[in-house]
Amino acid sequence: MSTTTATRRGQGRPESRSRRRVEPIFYFFLLPSLVLFTLAITVPGLVGIFFSFTDSIGIGDWEFAGLTNYIAIFSDPAILQSYLFTFGFSIVTVLVVNVIAFLLAVGLTSQIRMKTALRTIFVIPMVVSGIIIAYVFNFLFSNSLPSAGAAAGISWLETSLLANPDLAWIAIVVVTAWQAVPGALLIYIAGLVSIPGDVYEAAEIDGASKFQQLLKITAPLVAGYVVINIILGFKGFLNAYDIIVGLTNGGPGTSTRSIAMTVIAGFNGGDYAYQMANATIFFVVAVLISLLQLSLTRGRNTL
Amino acid sequence: MSLKLTRTLRTAALGLCLALLAGLLSGCTGDSGKETIRFTFSKREAIGFMTKLVADYNASQDNTEVILDTSGVDVVSASFVRGNPPDIALANYNMETARFVQRGALSDLSGTQAATRVRKDLQPLMDQYGSYPGRTSALPYSVMASSVIYNKEIFAAHGIEVPRTWSELLAACDALKAAGVTPFYATWKDDWTVAQGWFDYSVGGQLDTLDFFEKLADAGTDVGPDSPASFQKDFEQPVEKMLKLAGSYVNKDAASRGYGDGNLAFSQGKAAMYLQGPWAFSEIAKTAPDLQLGTFPLPMTENPEDLRVRVNVDLAAWIPEESKHKEAARDFLEYLYQPEIIEAYNKSQLGFTPTIDADAAPDPRIEGMVEYYDKGSVYQGPSVLVPRTIPIMNYTQALVLGADPAAMFRTLDADWARLAFRQ
Repeated sequence: MSTTTATRRGQGRPESRSRRRVEPIFYFFLLPSLVLFTLAITVPGLVGIFFSFTDSIGIGDWEFAGLTNYIAIFSDPAILQSYLFTFGFSIVTVLVVNVIAFLLAVGLTSQIRMKTALRTIFVIPMVVSGIIIAYVFNFLFSNSLPSAGAAAGISWLETSLLANPDLAWIAIVVVTAWQAVPGALLIYIAGLVSIPGDVYEAAEIDGASKFQQLLKITAPLVAGYVVINIILGFKGFLNAYDIIVGLTNGGPGTSTRSIAMTVIAGFNGGDYAYQMANATIFFVVAVLISLLQLSLTRGRNTL
Repeated sequence: MSLKLTRTLRTAALGLCLALLAGLLSGCTGDSGKETIRFTFSKREAIGFMTKLVADYNASQDNTEVILDTSGVDVVSASFVRGNPPDIALANYNMETARFVQRGALSDLSGTQAATRVRKDLQPLMDQYGSYPGRTSALPYSVMASSVIYNKEIFAAHGIEVPRTWSELLAACDALKAAGVTPFYATWKDDWTVAQGWFDYSVGGQLDTLDFFEKLADAGTDVGPDSPASFQKDFEQPVEKMLKLAGSYVNKDAASRGYGDGNLAFSQGKAAMYLQGPWAFSEIAKTAPDLQLGTFPLPMTENPEDLRVRVNVDLAAWIPEESKHKEAARDFLEYLYQPEIIEAYNKSQLGFTPTIDADAAPDPRIEGMVEYYDKGSVYQGPSVLVPRTIPIMNYTQALVLGADPAAMFRTLDADWARLAFRQ
């Protein structure tokens, strides 16, 4: 071992240098995560994919069923609807969250009074658990808003937003955004403070207005952070679960059932293999989206 | 340098592993000599009763420590999948538990004292959800009959008799409405209240649900407009009547109200009728202990002979095959079935005790159903006979909120056929 490295060092080939320089300590750093990841994610994932080809209900006897579950899924309107809902919801929420978070971040990094106090207030929603937020908003939507509507004589406000099959998703977007904005906000603040002040000075001297500075300097310089926020946000919203459970539980009717909810329903309702097939398809879709996002952002030095 | 480092690390890793192992092992040794069993019970109206019962049992003997687990139905199902089910459970007997029965996940209880005292004529209620060859997988503990709950004081104040036909029901509703009283209090925000009350009472009052679901099971993947039974053919009429009631005779904010809101509002006399089971009585009594309440079957046809009440095995006892403490669990089971305990439980929850020696003295609030229960004019609700993987509760909620019934029943038929195709 030592002799080969010695001779290769003489040749100075790049790969030999990297091989020699690897300290065993790095593998040791990797090991715990690798073991945990394999045991907690990879193995159960593979087991789940295996069971998607059976008729298992999660317990007891099972038999191989081939592609039966996959065939059934593609003709299941409920599953299709959950995909449409989840993707529509994720796209809208990502847009709402990023616009609000970006504008807030611009405000909170400018020269205003009580900057620290305001930042703290805006970050509070992030530390509250999703299910608690959902139940509190559930109460607001079902009781407080309708009472306010009744008192003010606004008839469309008298029925809960959550009870309207066509509009319940808006309530979910609002609550999810309320919780997700702080995370994105922090990343934007970090991005904004990293922009050197002299570029603004230069722009000022050239006569650029504040709005032009925002569009021509701030926006391009935080573009990398926008990409991070969109990818992280979109990934998170695709897994939407707790807030929906607390707000509508998939209702009214089946109008707000997310993919994660249908998968869990199979776990609880004796449709284990079928929903494992659904989860497998969702996994493939998620991988495709990740590859797409990677290829779109490749070359940006910010990542 | 690197050699030294790895040796130190190796020592450190070994130490870490030993520490972890020690931690794991210490988890195995109990701190007392008692055998611990986990008892699942999540009927929220009776958790107070059960907490006291478990405390009494734990104090009464030194061998077993029962731990009450009230974490709910979904958690229990998941625990079976993980191979870590509770040691004993008293749980709602439905399609959910049926899966455990059919795949042999529940142990045989036929040798217990309790099994010999259960009324044999209740067996069809249990068998409806399937059985496992050679086993008595579950024992009924509490049978509940449910029908319309009505406020006797409001009915008397407006001179309204208990309706026995569909047209009498409509007349009563119109009379109440004319007097400014909301006929029905509806809580559509909670989808299960639509399914068990509005949907089940309407369909069960007009259709032989057992026969329907047998035909449906026979048709399997062929369920559709041309099969002997289908949701689109058989459910359209009953649901039309349900929608007539739902459309004209409920509180204005029905869509935003939940079960808790309904119990409070009904106890305050905000409506004359309430489509809930007897479990709601104890909740209503919290705010209005002296309110005069009664029950009657929802009349859906013009023939009083068709009047029926919805029954279900609200609680059944079972012990999972995978439990490691079956003997201790069986001892606790016998304790639960002691006459004074099982009867006290059912009295407190207004259920019917399913043992042969039970003393039947009905509470005045459920008197209106005893006649039908005794002569067997009962049905099981269609919502509990649909496998849970089909979101029937969400569907019924969509119906009362204005979804097209024909399209909804086509979806249901397709869901049923698809399930038959893959299971």
